[in-house]
Amino acid sequence: MGLLFSRMFSSLFGNKEARILVLGLDNAGKTTILYRLQMGEVVSTIPTIGFNVETVQYNNIKFQVWDLGGQTSIRPYWRCYFPNTQAIIYVVDSSDTDRLVIAREEFHAILEEEELRGAVVLIFANKQDLPGALDDAAITESLELHKIKNRQWAIFKTSAIKGEGLFEGLDW
Amino acid sequence: MSGHDSKYFSTTKKGEIPELKEELNSQYKDKRKDAVKKVIAAMTVGKDVSSLFTDVVNCMQTENLELKKLVYLYLINYAKSQPDLAILAVNTFVKDSQDPNPLIRALAVRTMGCIRVDKITEYLCDPLQRCLKDDDPYVRKTAAICVAKLYDINAELVEDRGFLESLKDLISDNNPMVVANAVAALAEIQENSNRPIFEITSHTLSKLLTALNECTEWGQVFILDALSRYKAADAREAENIVERVTPRLQHANCAVVLSAVKMILQQMELITSTDVVRNLCKKMAPPLVTLLSAEPEIQYVALRNINLIVQRRPTILAHEIKVFFCKYNDPIYVKMEKLEIMIKLASDRNIDQVLLEFKEYATEVDVDFVRKAVRAIGRCAIKLDRAAERCISVLLELIKIKVNYVVQEAIIVIKDIFRRYPNTYESIIATLCESLDTLDEPEAKASMIWIIGEYAERIDNADELLESFLESFPEEPAQVQLQLLTATVKLFLKKPTEGPQQMIQVVLNNATVETDNPDLRDRAYIYWRLLSTDPESAKDVVLAEKPVISDDSNQLDPSLLDELLANIATLSSVYHKPPEAFVTRVKTTNQRTEDDEYAEGSEAGYSESSAPVADGAASPSSSSGSVPYAGARQPGPAPTQPAPAAPVPDLLGDLIGLDNSAIVPTDQPATPAGPPLPVLLPESTGQGLQISAQLTRRDDQIFYSLLFENNSQVALDGFMIQFNKNTFGVAAAGPLQVPQLQPGTSARTLLPMVIFQNMSQGPPSSLLQVAVKNNQQPVWYFNDKILLHVFFTEEGRMERASFLETWRSLPDSNEVSKDFPGAVISTVEATLDLLTASNMFFIARRKHANQDVFYFSAKLPQGTPFLIELTTVVGNPGVKCAIKTPNPDMAPIFFESIDTLLRA
Repeated sequence: MGLLFSRMFSSLFGNKEARILVLGLDNAGKTTILYRLQMGEVVSTIPTIGFNVETVQYNNIKFQVWDLGGQTSIRPYWRCYFPNTQAIIYVVDSSDTDRLVIAREEFHAILEEEELRGAVVLIFANKQDLPGALDDAAITESLELHKIKNRQWAIFKTSAIKGEGLFEGLDW
Repeated sequence: MSGHDSKYFSTTKKGEIPELKEELNSQYKDKRKDAVKKVIAAMTVGKDVSSLFTDVVNCMQTENLELKKLVYLYLINYAKSQPDLAILAVNTFVKDSQDPNPLIRALAVRTMGCIRVDKITEYLCDPLQRCLKDDDPYVRKTAAICVAKLYDINAELVEDRGFLESLKDLISDNNPMVVANAVAALAEIQENSNRPIFEITSHTLSKLLTALNECTEWGQVFILDALSRYKAADAREAENIVERVTPRLQHANCAVVLSAVKMILQQMELITSTDVVRNLCKKMAPPLVTLLSAEPEIQYVALRNINLIVQRRPTILAHEIKVFFCKYNDPIYVKMEKLEIMIKLASDRNIDQVLLEFKEYATEVDVDFVRKAVRAIGRCAIKLDRAAERCISVLLELIKIKVNYVVQEAIIVIKDIFRRYPNTYESIIATLCESLDTLDEPEAKASMIWIIGEYAERIDNADELLESFLESFPEEPAQVQLQLLTATVKLFLKKPTEGPQQMIQVVLNNATVETDNPDLRDRAYIYWRLLSTDPESAKDVVLAEKPVISDDSNQLDPSLLDELLANIATLSSVYHKPPEAFVTRVKTTNQRTEDDEYAEGSEAGYSESSAPVADGAASPSSSSGSVPYAGARQPGPAPTQPAPAAPVPDLLGDLIGLDNSAIVPTDQPATPAGPPLPVLLPESTGQGLQISAQLTRRDDQIFYSLLFENNSQVALDGFMIQFNKNTFGVAAAGPLQVPQLQPGTSARTLLPMVIFQNMSQGPPSSLLQVAVKNNQQPVWYFNDKILLHVFFTEEGRMERASFLETWRSLPDSNEVSKDFPGAVISTVEATLDLLTASNMFFIARRKHANQDVFYFSAKLPQGTPFLIELTTVVGNPGVKCAIKTPNPDMAPIFFESIDTLLRA
């Protein structure tokens, strides 16, 4: 699948950067994932009021990764970033079972967006290092991922702190 | 086929904005940077590019400093118009404030301070806190200024987050730039706060003095200004401070020099040693003199400040009077100021020189300047009695030139000299009389007539002279008429012969019957009454000794002078007005109420040297200067129209409201004829628009009385009003009629109202929600309280019998009562009147133990009766109110209303 990805990019964009949005509820671990991908280290973060943007080089592909703040107040402005987006990484806090419902609603709202119709979706079931975290199957269930038709998607178990699963996700 | 046609819809031509948007989202950095530049260019020429906000903000995270600066510039401009989206920039600010590059850290913190969006201010506190403790002085100094900006946006936040303490710590910073900026920030915060925030202690003092020598010129100004507010503990400390500051007097920047002078003047108050003071005065003279060699504009500012300094410490420039001699090519405003200072510096020692100068000026071409020069001579005569004679002789010489306006001006000042030195220089009267015919200005005429009247016994042909004036009595200006009247009376009292007797008849007749000037008429009646009852006492009154006038060239009130001296090198010292008088934002702790009087006094003082008004009782206008003054204070018609008793608030609104134009723009909203309306929309909420309003009832009609005050910077027009549904269905009966409101003006209006128009369901409530809009501002919403008594009708009057019957017919469950511990009925009559005025009619009164019980009836328009029982001890606080009504739901609203009434 990774081969397909790179081929697709090289055929379509040549050396251009691919634009990826990292979305998810607040405190899901988006910023940590971003810097884990970029620098390979765990940085201590504060809630992102606004956005971070970094360029991540992986397997000869340059990704322009936009990490958007997940607070309720900022979620309405996600849509400003939807145009020209090739992929979405939706990060879920697997240990925060109470808010999975909200996560599901936000997720499906994003899928409805016209401007994101062509974007592939990658779900990170993050915080697998925490006790009580649901596994990918349970997250798939609770996010009702099986309802997704006409779109490529995949889910990975990740732990941004430990760095597990992230690059597997990108490989996909 | 159709697939090919679709290309016509996707043309390559797009508007500018979408094109820019595309470029901003470009993959390439160069292209993005160019796009941002284009956006900024469009912004600077006034095109609205705010719709690109997110796209521009997305370019914010870049290592390119140039691009970052451009994006920040954009943010400062448009954050206000996109307050919601501005939040997207927060994270970048936070990141940038931790950037390794101090320039970027400072840039971020400065931009944050310039973005005045409430939603994001709190997010900016943490970065600001960090930057205040930054390693780099440039970042610290920028952060210090940012605190002052933040204080302006949200003072509480600054105090809660301890920014003030951090700022105070910065005063001890080792970098002088940081110190100067911290001082500037603290001083600015202090100006906007009522609490003492910035107080210099002896510890900070030494820090400031050290920093003073090292920082930039503007930093020095800030520090000096702050130091001038410091009260030294004793003379020694003051001397020390002054010594450290004295080198600043040599600075090339005149702002630094003036600030240093201010500071030294303040500290000099404490220095007791005369030697030190004399030394300091000597040191301050050369820098002040140097200021006068700058361009005219700076000269003017310097002169206005020197004017103040000279009033407090004339010795500083006593020997430098020559510097103030006018050059032929000085602009007129500089010349006028120089004259003013020359008068202040004139002394017995230099008067000859000064007089020579004045004489020279009096022959120049500029009329205003010549007049002022002549007046200056007169003022010197009044000020220096030993020089008076020389002044007089100069004046006489000038009169001989026979230039019309010089002569007139000379006569005006000679009158003042006569007042100052009675019975000394009367010999010159003959010379004055020669130029009698040339007088055509009211003030000169009035002065001449005063002289004739005052010295009638020494002027042989006084009656002839006066008679020549009398012929044109009806055409003369009021000032001259008043003087003629007084002079004729004096003449008559001094020479009670036939001629004057006839004259006085003519004058009194003219002044009482044929004039409509109340001042003149009243004075004429007084004289008439005096003369007809007791000529002897008339003599005592009219010819009474007059107090000697004194020179008023130091005319600023001492306390005002103190304040102005403390504000040297600011606009205030140029205007000679305290800052509060012309800057509305400033709210210093010692607010003055008499600002206007000071201002008036100082203006009047410059244009003329008038005598104090305290003159002989019946000849109040012996000094010409006092006449326009009195006239200005008491506008003509006031005494003749006894103001009718005002039973209702805002009499003016009422009078006009009845002939249905319903508007009255008043210039002074602060003095309405009655209790002020409650403020419902304060100006802080209404962007400068303040609305006060209340429902009132007049002549059985309900009105909404409104007062609009425009304290914003723009003219407001197109006012409209709307009322939300409410329990009583109160609504406007017509459109709101408010004229265009210029900044600083106000308008009152009475809006006729109807009830039962748009009633809301649900439990009764006194809430009245009002919306007001105009063409310039957003819609304002505010809440008012409906006072039930406004609705009570005339039909509420009841016979005792029917009252009793109704009372009995209603079940006890309909009775509601409430205590008003704060209310007091001090006199029964007043309360009865008050309630009757609100259509609550008195039924009966009975005694119950030591308490009085009153019964009233009232009725709402739809017929609901209210039976009211008030129980109280007359004169003591505490009233119990019980009502019985078929509609007990209304009781709470009724109680609100009666509470308001009883407190009124």
